[in-house]
Amino acid sequence: MIRRVFRHGIIGFGKTQAESQGQSMTSMAYAGATIFRFRWLLYELVLRDLRLRYRNSLLGFAWTIMNPVLFMLLYTLVFSVYLRVHVEHFPLYVLAGLVPWNWVIGAVTAATTAIPDGRMYVGKTVFPIELLVLVPVLSNAVNFVLSLALLIAFVPVLGGHFSWTFALLPGAVIGELLAITGVSFIVATFNTFYRDLQQLVGYLLTAFFFLAPIFYTRAMVPERYAFLLTWNPFAAMIEVYHSILYAAAPPALGALAFLLVFGILVLLLGMGYFDRYRDHFGEYL
Amino acid sequence: MTPALLAAGVSKTYRIPDIPKRATIKDVVVRHLRREDGVAVVDALCDVSFSVGPGQSLGVVGRNGSGKTTLIRVLAGVCRPDSGEVRVSGTRSALLALGVGFHPDLTGRENARVGLLSLGLSRRQTGDRMDEVIAFSELGDFIDAPIHTYSTGMYMRLAFSVAVAVEPDVLLLDEVLAVGDPAFANKCLALMDHFRSNGTTMAIATQDFHVVRERCDLALWLQEGKVAAFGAPPQVLAAYGDFLQMQEGENAS
Repeated sequence: MIRRVFRHGIIGFGKTQAESQGQSMTSMAYAGATIFRFRWLLYELVLRDLRLRYRNSLLGFAWTIMNPVLFMLLYTLVFSVYLRVHVEHFPLYVLAGLVPWNWVIGAVTAATTAIPDGRMYVGKTVFPIELLVLVPVLSNAVNFVLSLALLIAFVPVLGGHFSWTFALLPGAVIGELLAITGVSFIVATFNTFYRDLQQLVGYLLTAFFFLAPIFYTRAMVPERYAFLLTWNPFAAMIEVYHSILYAAAPPALGALAFLLVFGILVLLLGMGYFDRYRDHFGEYL
Repeated sequence: MTPALLAAGVSKTYRIPDIPKRATIKDVVVRHLRREDGVAVVDALCDVSFSVGPGQSLGVVGRNGSGKTTLIRVLAGVCRPDSGEVRVSGTRSALLALGVGFHPDLTGRENARVGLLSLGLSRRQTGDRMDEVIAFSELGDFIDAPIHTYSTGMYMRLAFSVAVAVEPDVLLLDEVLAVGDPAFANKCLALMDHFRSNGTTMAIATQDFHVVRERCDLALWLQEGKVAAFGAPPQVLAAYGDFLQMQEGENAS
């Protein structure tokens, strides 16, 4: 019995009765319970992801540190030396933005293809597929935390100094975790139906990289383009890290609040979106 | 007595993306703007209701494409029904025939670990059960070879061993006895008898009349996603058998 229906809406089909009954708060509680129940599976998968990433590489985990350092050297040469962008302690400034940004790149890139990559677990067996999206977020979080720790240790070498503001880092990290998780659920869901996104995601991440003040400062942005920073949650995120690690000043409350509120909203949105379409993933693999 | 397995008005449709072959981007855009691009919808299950008491076994029969696999998947919680409700009391474990959740590049052991963890076991419990799983699967040294080197029979043996490692309250099986050699099939049947005597509730989708007649307390015959008959195995099988014979006669003439 095959019938045809017409599609509407961004993903393509109308709500069925079961889908419209979904309530975001109960689905949040349900997702939390699922993650808790399968915490050991999550742990195993994150460990496996980390192990696989450095398999057959000579430097192994050191790449996590090498990567931002190499880019920092390149950016310092191009922007600080060639283009004479004047920012004091430029390497520290760049690293304070690059290290958190690398978490975004690593997690979002892998989350985009998480569902097709995990096709053997989707729709075929009893498997909590939300974990497939959480695994790249968390394995990149492990890398991020380790490189952040190393960066903190090197702050005095790079011209900064230890400050009580470092104690505010957990706030920034939590905000970033929420935002990355939410974005990851959105891109993972969208890309399952429209694989165009996996071609585009590299460009989009580069765009956000240039639009966030990672190798320039807010003061260098012309007034009429300042809104690109003001309304960009990732710019706010980078500025929070800059305040804490580079300026050794407490971050503007507005920026931190923006990051946290954005994180919570995008997480709710992402999980709701994922939840609404998850039953149809198997049909598109 | 509350049923261990309950389906109330369960319906499930599948959607198949309906993009015409060799469509140009213009075609797709124009169709999308006119909202004429659609999805093909298959009604896999249509208002299916039944209940199975604790410790009872249900045999699900029907022709290919009648909805057996979809029913087992819905009962297993792999997918949610579009409407209606499924209730399963206690822990459930499932073995689904088409593509069990194994990663082809990981070894049998690594896959079994993930499989056990995805049943909700802790790391410690998983470690404790691994030896049992490996022994039951009879894979020997192949347990440390990547899954893509396995034959279908070896694959299913490992999958079955993982699925039964947890002593679930409810066990859902889809056409699992059709693969594997007779010796392993007998071992599975013996294990099913063990589960039955332990009070495990089971639902089995199968083409095997013997299994339904001898090992099931209830039978369900699905026809185009609808319940054609539900009740004691002899009556349901008789009706289904008559139907098959009638169809064969029609095809012959």
